[in-house]
Amino acid sequence: MLSYLLFIATIGGIYGLLALSLNLIWGGAGMVNLGLAGFFAVGAYASALLTTAGQAPIAAGWLVAFVAAGIAGLTVTLSTTRLREDYLAIVTLGFAEVVRLVAANEIWLTRGTDGISGIPGPWKRALGPDFNGVYFLIVLGVLLVVFFVVRRIDRAPYGRALRAIREDAQVAEVAGKNVLRFKTEAFALSAAIAGLAGALYGHFTSYIAPDLFLPLITVYIFLAVASGGTGRPAGALVGAYLVMALLESSRFFVEGIPGVTAVQRAALKELLIAVALIVVLRLKPSGVLPERIPPAPRSS
Amino acid sequence: MNKIRITRRTTMAGSVALLANPAIVRAQADPIKLATLTPLTGAGGPYGPVMAKAAASVVEEVNKAGGVLGRRIVLVSEDDQTNPEAAVRAARKLIDVDKVTAIMGTWASSVTTAVAPLCWESKTFLCTVSGADSITLLPHQGYLIRTQPNSRLQVTRVGEFILSLGAKKAFTMIPQTPFTQSTFDVLNQVLPKGGATHQSLIYDDKKTTYRTEVDQALRTSPDVILANGYTPDTVVLLKDLYRAGFKGKILGFAYSINQKLVDQIGQNEVVEGVYTFAPSSAEGGSAYEKVKVAVGSANPDPYTCQVYDHVNMVLMAIAVGKAASGEAIKDNIRKVTQGSGKSVDNAVDGLKAIAAGEKVDYSGASGPCDFDEKGDILDCKFRYEQIKGGKFTLVKIA
Repeated sequence: MLSYLLFIATIGGIYGLLALSLNLIWGGAGMVNLGLAGFFAVGAYASALLTTAGQAPIAAGWLVAFVAAGIAGLTVTLSTTRLREDYLAIVTLGFAEVVRLVAANEIWLTRGTDGISGIPGPWKRALGPDFNGVYFLIVLGVLLVVFFVVRRIDRAPYGRALRAIREDAQVAEVAGKNVLRFKTEAFALSAAIAGLAGALYGHFTSYIAPDLFLPLITVYIFLAVASGGTGRPAGALVGAYLVMALLESSRFFVEGIPGVTAVQRAALKELLIAVALIVVLRLKPSGVLPERIPPAPRSS
Repeated sequence: MNKIRITRRTTMAGSVALLANPAIVRAQADPIKLATLTPLTGAGGPYGPVMAKAAASVVEEVNKAGGVLGRRIVLVSEDDQTNPEAAVRAARKLIDVDKVTAIMGTWASSVTTAVAPLCWESKTFLCTVSGADSITLLPHQGYLIRTQPNSRLQVTRVGEFILSLGAKKAFTMIPQTPFTQSTFDVLNQVLPKGGATHQSLIYDDKKTTYRTEVDQALRTSPDVILANGYTPDTVVLLKDLYRAGFKGKILGFAYSINQKLVDQIGQNEVVEGVYTFAPSSAEGGSAYEKVKVAVGSANPDPYTCQVYDHVNMVLMAIAVGKAASGEAIKDNIRKVTQGSGKSVDNAVDGLKAIAAGEKVDYSGASGPCDFDEKGDILDCKFRYEQIKGGKFTLVKIA
C-alpha cells in the first residue's frame, strides 16, 4: 500500500509540475496552451534518448529536457506572435499532435510506436524497493523549487505585467511593456517546466511511447488548474493532487459497489470523476484556491 | 450556496477517506489474488469486458471445486483504458495494494510494454495477448508469456494467403503501430517469392477521411489490398475504398474487421467479399466449448479464449509450485502447459490431477499453449473468413 501511495504521490507531483507550467502561461499570461502534452513529450524523449542511446547521466538528461522543451516553447511562440486565444490554442494543439506523430513515425530516432523501454532510474538497482520513496522525494524537491520560483514570479512586478497582458495586451503595450518579450519568456519557461515533468515521468516508469502523450493528459491538467484555481500556483498544485486523488480513489470506491460488472464499474469510475469535478466547480467556480490579486504598491 | 465550503482540509480529508474505506471491505482470510488488466474502455473496449468475464468464470469454477492449495481465489478486474499511462497506474494499484500474483489479459502492445517492467521488478507474472515482436524481447526474466502468435508469424501467413488469392500486385495500408515495420519486412520477403509485387503506405489512424490515401493506393492498380488498421479507421478506409470503386480483393485482420465494423458501416455491399484473418482458437476443442458457455457467445473471439487459458495455466502453475507467488508461476508454468503429462482442458481437472501427483499438459481454448523460453507460443492455427451478405463465413482453418 505504501509503495502504491508513493507511486501515486510521485505521478501526482509530475501532474503538479504540469499544472504549474500551465498556470504560469494560462493563469498568468492568459495564453491557452493546448500543446502541453507536446512539451511533456519533448522533454521525456530528450532525456530518454540522451540517457539510453547517448549513455549520458540522468541529471544531464533532465537538464537537456528542460532546455529542449524551452527551445520548443520559444519556437512555438515566436512562430505564432500574432495569434491569440482560440487561434493560439489550435496551433498549440497542432504542435502537440505533430510531436506525437514525429515520435510515432521517425523510427530511427524514437523507435516509433514500440516506444523507448529500459530508461534508467537514479540509483534504481541499489535502491531496490525503496526506489519509489527516493524518487518521490526527488520529484517533491523539484516540485517545491519550481513552485517557489513560479510563486515568486507571480508576486513580482513581472507577474503583474503578465496579468496586465492577460487582461488587455493593448493597454499593457501602451503602458510601455514589451508584450512579445513577456509572452515568449513566460511561454518558454512554462514549456521548459512541462519538459522537465516529462523527463521525470520517463525515468520513473522506465518506458515512454507516443501513446502516452495523447491530448487526454492536457485535458487532465486543464481540469486540475481550473478546479484548483486559475492564476494561483498553490491552486494549480492543489488541483493536480485533487485530480490525481479523484482518478485513483474512484477506483477503490467503485470496487465496493456490489452487483456490477467490470465494464459498468469502469464506466461508473469515469462518471464519478466527472461528477466530482462538476461539483467542485459548481461550489467553487473559481477553483478551490481562487486567484488573489495583491494590491498594487503605493507610489510614494 | 456559500454554506458548503470546500477547503484544502476537507478535500484532503475526503480523499483520504475515499482511499481508506475499502480497506475494511478487503479484510479477508488470505485468498490468492489474481488480476485481469483488460481494456474496458478505449479502442480495445469491444474485447476487454468479455475477456474479464471469461477470466471470472474460471475463477468461479475453481472456487466451487475448493480453490487452489486450500485457498480461495479472488479476481480483481481493472481497466487499462487502452492507454499506457492509465494502465501503469492501474497495474501499480494491483501490484502494491491488491498484491496480486499475476496480471492477465493486457491487450494493446503499448500497454503491455509499459506494464511489463513493473511486473518483472515486483516479481508479478504477466500474461498478455499483445502481438508486437518486441514484447518477448524485453528483459522480462521469464515473468511474461503471451498466447498471441508474434506478428512475424502472423504476417507470414497473411502473405501466403494473399498469394493463394492469386495476387499479382498487393498493397498494404496500415497505421503506424509496433508491428508496422515487421509487416513490411515480412511481406516484402514473402510476396516477391510467390511472384507478386508489394507496395505500401502508412496512414494516420486518427483521420476522418482516407481519400488521398486511397487514391495513392489505387494509382498502383493493386488486385489485393491489405487493410491493416484498427476498427475505427478501417470503417472509414473501407467506405472510401468502396466509394473509389475498388474492385479487387480486400483482406484484413479479424480484430479490426469484426461484426462491430460491419454494423458501423451499415451497408453490406461495402464489405461484401472482404476476407478476414485471425489466429484461430482451438475450435471444436472441449476448452473452446467451455468458453462458449462461460461468455454466452457462439463464437468467442481469440482474446477471450486466450485470457481463459491464462487463468487456467496460472492456477495450475501455482498448484504445482505449491506457492501463490509470481516466482512459483514463472518456474512452473511450462510444467503444466507442455511435456508428456495427462492432457487436461481446464484447471479444475488439472488441479485434481496435480493433487493426485500426476503431471499435466494443458491444451486450451486458444490452442495447445506451449511456450518457448522467450515466452512466445510455439504453434498456432489461423482462421480465414469471408464476409458474405453481412455475415462472416468460414473459408478455412489452417
